[in-house]
Amino acid sequence: MALNSNAHQRNKVDFFSRITKFSPHFLLCILIVPVLGGLLSVLLPAFGWAPAMEQTTFGLHGFKALWQTPGLGQMVMLTITTGLVSTVLAFVITLLMLSAFFNSPWLNRIQRIFSPILVIPHAAAAIAVGFLIAPSGMISRLISPWLSSWELAPNGIFPHDSLGISIILGLTLKELPFLLLMALGVLAQPELGKKLKQQHQVALNLGYYPMTAFFKVVLPSLYPMLRLPILAVLVYASASVEMPLILGPNTPPTLAVAIMHWFQDVDLNLRIKASAGALLQLCLSGGLLALWLIAEKAISRLSHAPLTNGKRQYCDAIWNKVTILLTLLIIAFIGLALIGLILWSLAGFWRFPAPLPEHLVLLHFESAIAQMGNPLFNTLAVGVIATMFAVIVTLFCLEAEQLSAKPLSRFTSIIIYLPLVIPSIAFLFGLVWIQQLVHEQASFFNVVFVHLLFVLPYVFLSLASSYRRLDPRFARVAASLGTTPLNVFLQVKLPQLFAPILIAIALGLAISFGQYLPTLLAGGGRISTITTEAVTLANGASRRTSAVYAIIQMVLPLIGFMLAWILPKYFFKSAYK
Amino acid sequence: MLTNRGRQVSNRFRFWPLVYFLCSMISISSFAVSLNSSIDEKDLDDPHTHWQEVERLGKNQEVYFYAWGSDAQINAYIQWAAEELKAKYNIQLVHVKLSDTSEAVSRVLAEKSANNHHLGSVDLIWINGANFATMSEHALLLKDWATKLPNFQLTDPLNNPTVNFDFGIPTNGMEAPWGQASFTFYFDSLAVKKPPKTLSDLFTWSQQNPGRFSYPKPPDYLGMSFLKYALVILHEQSNESIRAQLNQPTRSQNIKTMLEPLWQFLDELHPNLWRNGKHFMQSSAQMRRLVDDTELSLGFTFTSPEIPAAVDRYDLPRSIRSYAMADGSLSNTHFVAIPYNASHPHAAQVVANFLLSPEAQAHKQNPAIWGDKTVLVQSALTSEQRALFHSDNQHPSALPTNSIERTLSEPHPSWVAAIEQGWERRYGASR
Repeated sequence: MALNSNAHQRNKVDFFSRITKFSPHFLLCILIVPVLGGLLSVLLPAFGWAPAMEQTTFGLHGFKALWQTPGLGQMVMLTITTGLVSTVLAFVITLLMLSAFFNSPWLNRIQRIFSPILVIPHAAAAIAVGFLIAPSGMISRLISPWLSSWELAPNGIFPHDSLGISIILGLTLKELPFLLLMALGVLAQPELGKKLKQQHQVALNLGYYPMTAFFKVVLPSLYPMLRLPILAVLVYASASVEMPLILGPNTPPTLAVAIMHWFQDVDLNLRIKASAGALLQLCLSGGLLALWLIAEKAISRLSHAPLTNGKRQYCDAIWNKVTILLTLLIIAFIGLALIGLILWSLAGFWRFPAPLPEHLVLLHFESAIAQMGNPLFNTLAVGVIATMFAVIVTLFCLEAEQLSAKPLSRFTSIIIYLPLVIPSIAFLFGLVWIQQLVHEQASFFNVVFVHLLFVLPYVFLSLASSYRRLDPRFARVAASLGTTPLNVFLQVKLPQLFAPILIAIALGLAISFGQYLPTLLAGGGRISTITTEAVTLANGASRRTSAVYAIIQMVLPLIGFMLAWILPKYFFKSAYK
Repeated sequence: MLTNRGRQVSNRFRFWPLVYFLCSMISISSFAVSLNSSIDEKDLDDPHTHWQEVERLGKNQEVYFYAWGSDAQINAYIQWAAEELKAKYNIQLVHVKLSDTSEAVSRVLAEKSANNHHLGSVDLIWINGANFATMSEHALLLKDWATKLPNFQLTDPLNNPTVNFDFGIPTNGMEAPWGQASFTFYFDSLAVKKPPKTLSDLFTWSQQNPGRFSYPKPPDYLGMSFLKYALVILHEQSNESIRAQLNQPTRSQNIKTMLEPLWQFLDELHPNLWRNGKHFMQSSAQMRRLVDDTELSLGFTFTSPEIPAAVDRYDLPRSIRSYAMADGSLSNTHFVAIPYNASHPHAAQVVANFLLSPEAQAHKQNPAIWGDKTVLVQSALTSEQRALFHSDNQHPSALPTNSIERTLSEPHPSWVAAIEQGWERRYGASR
């Protein structure tokens, strides 16, 4: 009997170990196959090979059609300028804030203000920004009519301006918190952060002004850690569709938006052109990445001399004031946008230029919630399934890393970021081609699968550091007492990771909730979520309904994070005493 | 008032069982007669007998009604009709909600090419214009049934050509009229004292009020409707033979000359539009929101009841007033049609006849329900039936009754594509 149970246990050990050992390969598979397969299936139709449409001759007619598109040059320029300018702005403002508030309590306060913005989906942020800058928006209401003498909304250019300034504004505001929090995350690393702070202090003691000290001492060590997030932002900004769709011009739109329209057109022949466009998008985003890396090299070479010239300040006092002003402006802008959004969701009649609605009503929430059942269910179901799957795969991979006592290969670590640094619009179309060939009807499954691609990297990023930081002695003690690896995993490691796992789940849900293009394409329009509804309604008939959807879009991920924050305190009261 | 109307309705339906009984007696007797005499052929031609037969075959069946389903009000009305049909004929009306009617057209087309000639999935389809043109061109519709519906006579077809022509194409009994839509305008009475009443008024008005008017970017349906309205009006002064070309399919030779006045008009109008005519709104829904924002002072719609409904939901200001252009309102009739391969063609005819009944048409015209104008002609109705259509207390923002002084018929559907392509080349860098 005892023998039997021992054998049984050994079997079980083997099984668990086998699964965990296999999981990194599995992870690679579910990331590489769709992304590379998707890219390949964009490539083939772009060159005219589309068996689904009975086109099997290779040719360049897709590219010819693309070339003949009126306004293609404008589209490309718009794509490049909005992507590049917004990334540069977000990056520069991040650096200014970091340098001005380094080692000051304000940095933490700004972090606290900005972190909720991080989880606001792009569509909701775009809607809020649009409300603010529109000719009838909050800003123009606050100065009318006493200052501007506008009795009717003025003839403005925002949003939808042809230069893409509205898009740049929206993207910058959304990417700034991301970069800032990434930087703060790096500085929070125990060793590196401490070292950088000490070096900064040394520089101050040597008479460097704080901002100059940051740029000369901290930045050179900090930047390499920020490179990947910046590149991800650059790719995202150049290829996203939500912001340009809600805030951008339509004569012509950005390339990504145009591709999306072509791909969705009833005329299937446009899909060849769309595929060629996706390839062009890939080249543009790749070109921007290359440009960034070249600029980075050039700047680092040029800055050799200034870094060591011993100059203690570069008008630091002025820059400091400028940064404080800029920070206040940004916070006021965000605050005003959120207030506007809430007011619109509750507004009865609200004629321009009244700064406040005539009366507040719950009608818009009531009618929206009455119609929201199906999209809300889809949002939650897709999010929960994709996130749970991602968390389990990630945990297994990290456990495999610890069991085999060697870190994941560099190749694997790079692949995990693949969906983040390849423009989603490029490989998604290919993926949808494949999915339609395999099983066209399974739209729910398809959506979950595509969400997984975007959820997985974030979940992995968020769990990896805490998992690797686990004190190995607990596991060793447990193992030496005869506990099987499975039980060590379940009873020793997971409870210690309770809080990080909840954070990872909340993050995964937030990422899934915010997906627009993947949901739209993989679901073939049949799976509607809060986000797809919000984008559709953003330019619709009612600002009020649109505001309600944007608020729900913001609240859903926030609920997730609140739970992730509260639950550990509740379950492990003693540990937090 | 309401209970009174309800009583009238129920009074009317107290006769139904009796009528029904009489009819079935007649049909049984005619069947009996037909066994041993030759009167039967004459009898089957009798419209009454014919309809008895249709009703008999149509009862207790399902009807798959493929209809555009993106409007909650309209969906609710179809739901109401389904309940009525269930109670009266035990017919199960299933609303298949389309986002674009062309989906149903391609479905029938696909079924035809797959040799499915009898068990088609579409029993009834809500249709007009280009989609009807396509279906009739490919012989996808059942013929000669609509004119035989008992309620069709209430549309006074002899004096009312709109029920027999769909965008200028003769319907040949392939579709039964369901409702009428007209292209009407609305304005913000706090911003505009005197709204423009004609197209040329509109032009001078937009010069005086730059940036306060625009139209949705084609191929948006409403944007196209505005362009068609302008095209028809601009050709008002042209001679008869030129005007007639608008009601015929486009020919490659006449597109350029016919559309030239439109492009000239737009070239001059655009600089005075919202955003100087450089950016156009994406959809008609956005136009309504811009009126609420007071960016625009003038808007238009093909479904005038949506305007008071929007005011009630605070989505438009109380100062909104609706009106129709004096030089004419583009009007079209929308229909229901039965595909040639429908699985339940008889039940579908019963449904079409019910949709044409004074009761269903009056319910549909009620602004609180849908507000779609009836196709029945008042003079063809009894005073009791007329009373069903009576509605009191007009919403201040609603289109005043009888404000449409003159209707303009839609150009031939092929002009839509011609306008769209020309517009795209001239004003839209891309779709």
